[in-house]
Amino acid sequence: MTERLATAPGAAQAASGPWPLRLSDVTVRYPNGTVALRNVSLSVAPGEMVSVVGLSGSGKSTLIRTLNGLVPVTSGHVEVGPYAVDELRGRRLRQLRGSVGMIFQGFNLADRTSVYNNVLVGRFSHTPTWRTLLGLVGHDDRDVVMAALDSVGMLEKVWGRAGALSGGQKQRVAIARALSQEPRVMLADEPVASLDPPTAHAVMSDLRRINSERGLTVLVNLHLMDLARQYTTRMIGLRGGELVYDGPAAPADDAVFEEIYGRPIQARDTLERSS
Amino acid sequence: MTSLPVPRRPRSWPRVAAVVAVIAAITAVTVTPALGGIRVDLGAIARNWHYGAHHLAQMAQLDFSILPRTAKPLLETLEMAVVGAAVAAALALPLSLWAARPTNPGPSRRAVRAVLNVVRSVPDLVYATLLVAMVGVGALPGVLTLVLFDLGVVVKLVSEAIDSADSSYMEAGHAAGGTQTQINRLTAAPQAWPAYGSQVLYSLELNVRISAVLGLVGAGGIGRLIDEVRGFYRYGALAVIILEILVVVIAIEVASNVLRKRLR
Amino acid sequence: MTATLPATTRVVAAPARPSRLPVRAAQLVAGAVVLAALVHLRIGWSDLAALPGALGHYLVLMFAHPNWAKLPYALQQTWVSVQMAWVGALLGVVVSTILGIPAAQGVSPLWVRLPLRGLFAVLRAVPEVIIAIVILTVTGLTPFTGALALTIGGIGTHGKWTYETIEAVPTGTAEAVRAAGGSLLEVARWGLWPAAAPELMSLALYRFEINVRTSAILGLIGVGGVGDLLTGYTQYRQWDAVGVLVIVVVVVTMLIDAASGAIRRRIMGGARTRVVDRTV
Repeated sequence: MTERLATAPGAAQAASGPWPLRLSDVTVRYPNGTVALRNVSLSVAPGEMVSVVGLSGSGKSTLIRTLNGLVPVTSGHVEVGPYAVDELRGRRLRQLRGSVGMIFQGFNLADRTSVYNNVLVGRFSHTPTWRTLLGLVGHDDRDVVMAALDSVGMLEKVWGRAGALSGGQKQRVAIARALSQEPRVMLADEPVASLDPPTAHAVMSDLRRINSERGLTVLVNLHLMDLARQYTTRMIGLRGGELVYDGPAAPADDAVFEEIYGRPIQARDTLERSS
Repeated sequence: MTSLPVPRRPRSWPRVAAVVAVIAAITAVTVTPALGGIRVDLGAIARNWHYGAHHLAQMAQLDFSILPRTAKPLLETLEMAVVGAAVAAALALPLSLWAARPTNPGPSRRAVRAVLNVVRSVPDLVYATLLVAMVGVGALPGVLTLVLFDLGVVVKLVSEAIDSADSSYMEAGHAAGGTQTQINRLTAAPQAWPAYGSQVLYSLELNVRISAVLGLVGAGGIGRLIDEVRGFYRYGALAVIILEILVVVIAIEVASNVLRKRLR
Repeated sequence: MTATLPATTRVVAAPARPSRLPVRAAQLVAGAVVLAALVHLRIGWSDLAALPGALGHYLVLMFAHPNWAKLPYALQQTWVSVQMAWVGALLGVVVSTILGIPAAQGVSPLWVRLPLRGLFAVLRAVPEVIIAIVILTVTGLTPFTGALALTIGGIGTHGKWTYETIEAVPTGTAEAVRAAGGSLLEVARWGLWPAAAPELMSLALYRFEINVRTSAILGLIGVGGVGDLLTGYTQYRQWDAVGVLVIVVVVVTMLIDAASGAIRRRIMGGARTRVVDRTV
């Protein structure tokens, strides 16, 4: 636990499989004084599919963003594969991020440009800045982009405008963007909160397929208990920035969720009954 | 009928009243000659309106004999407008990305903005006056004036558009390990493109209008002719020149509106 | 790099990229027009080469030893210009709002919109200086003439901005008010004003910022203010005095911009729905 993993330059040559995640006593305090995470420790084995559940404001988004350094930790340590994330900055931080795919609740696509350009974003960490600046795209990068789009069934939309897609299509393009990074870890921050139930199930199935076929470590934030039970094997519960549950997802009953949410279960806590 | 427990309505009128009071106070100071304000002389309008009417009547008698002489300076005006807008456009895109917060979170944004604020705060004709004195009469000081003016307008408006637009795609770019330059090139530039294109077209419209006046201080274009016919009190000829500028400005505007629609 | 490719990556048959020929053609035409204009202007390259040297020379003349004795007078004349700008903006915005709202699509019929838009287009095309030349025959060479010229000149652009802003308001609210039986005035008050007000107020302040610059220009024809002074000093090549004037103009304009900009940000802040505050 106390022994830090090396942030060796040889990280890229490390085994090409999925990476483990480890948070050790992590606290995040925002500049405005809000404590979003309080002494959270957890570790995730390579290839696990883990959900993080909790109400909005429980620290889910913050937790997931400490793993790729989008939110710096105030204290504690974050390890992702061979990287000590809390010590990284600049080029090394970008290298780490290149190996960690992320998808978002709001899809975060550039609406006015093509699907192709949006997915090409996933190739940033593999591309020198000057090549991007000149608009040069290598054949390898192009092939990876097309394969990623194909794997989420969005290949025929490649030259279309991202803004013209439906919500579910946008999220699948966003998944393709993350896949084109050829990541070791996939993070998903409320990926289905903006989608209708059938599309939500489709996107969750995509994530599970990524986990089983590519063997990626997947960490997904959810606020819906039935999705957590159905699609993930392990569940982490957060309440008020503290870890209050860590155990198997499938057998977690309503009592467990009431403990995590700190209130009785309501209709909007499940996809089935809320829709 | 029972009275409903209505939540208290938030009061907005004190703020509105304060805003109105401030505007009224500033206006009062600016129009009180005793406080150094300008004299709003409505009496002069009552006494002298017929002079203005007379000049307008003179202008209504269009003097088309000036027409052949306008062709060359009008073309020069247009050329200055086009070249000025093109040079400014080439410089404005990188500068806009440099001057907006989402596309340049670093401290250099402030430096770019400070320089541009200085550039923007000098009026166009002041540039023209100074540049004519520096590099001599002709189109060059005119084009330089337009470039400086356009840069100020385009960079300010485009960088503000970038500032206020949804930039959540930035987070995805950062999360994928991109450098700010990569994110700007591949996603921020296309996102800013409609605002940029429409501002460049707008600057072209403004340029035609401005370059018509630049000649008054010797910076080329049709303004030279305006100065001349005004000197000889040829109001009919002046009206013809104004009409010509009008036609050109509206033509440019129609064309740029057509292009603008295609940008979206 | 290929060593780290996961086994799932394979070359797939991508759809053909749509032709970019029309875009390329448009770019080519635009480039040709600019090039032709540049060539025909016959700007001497030797002038261009001498430009940095000349600029440096005059910048030294202007700013190495500014003639600070001229400062009080410069400030006084700048204040006159600012007053012109304020009065011109106030009158201009009032008139533009009254004329601009009926000029918006969806507010009034075509026979009202078209003449108004025509009026705006005409006023936009006529430079303020020329408007001032006509007005000064009525009100003389006074700052009031400048303010009136700014008012009338401003209606052209500001009226256009007003109807464009109104048209950018999502049509739903206006339709809802109309569906509830609202009159034209009620549609404007309850359907359009709440959505368009922040933008319109922000534009009004922007108008003032623009007028501060234009008012300096109007001095050229002698209506007073800082432009008047500048023409005089430049004609007599009193560069040390020109330097002081430029400094005063820049500082005053920037102060006004900063103040007005801060207010505009506050006004528009309420309209912003989403703030990304955690992005690195």
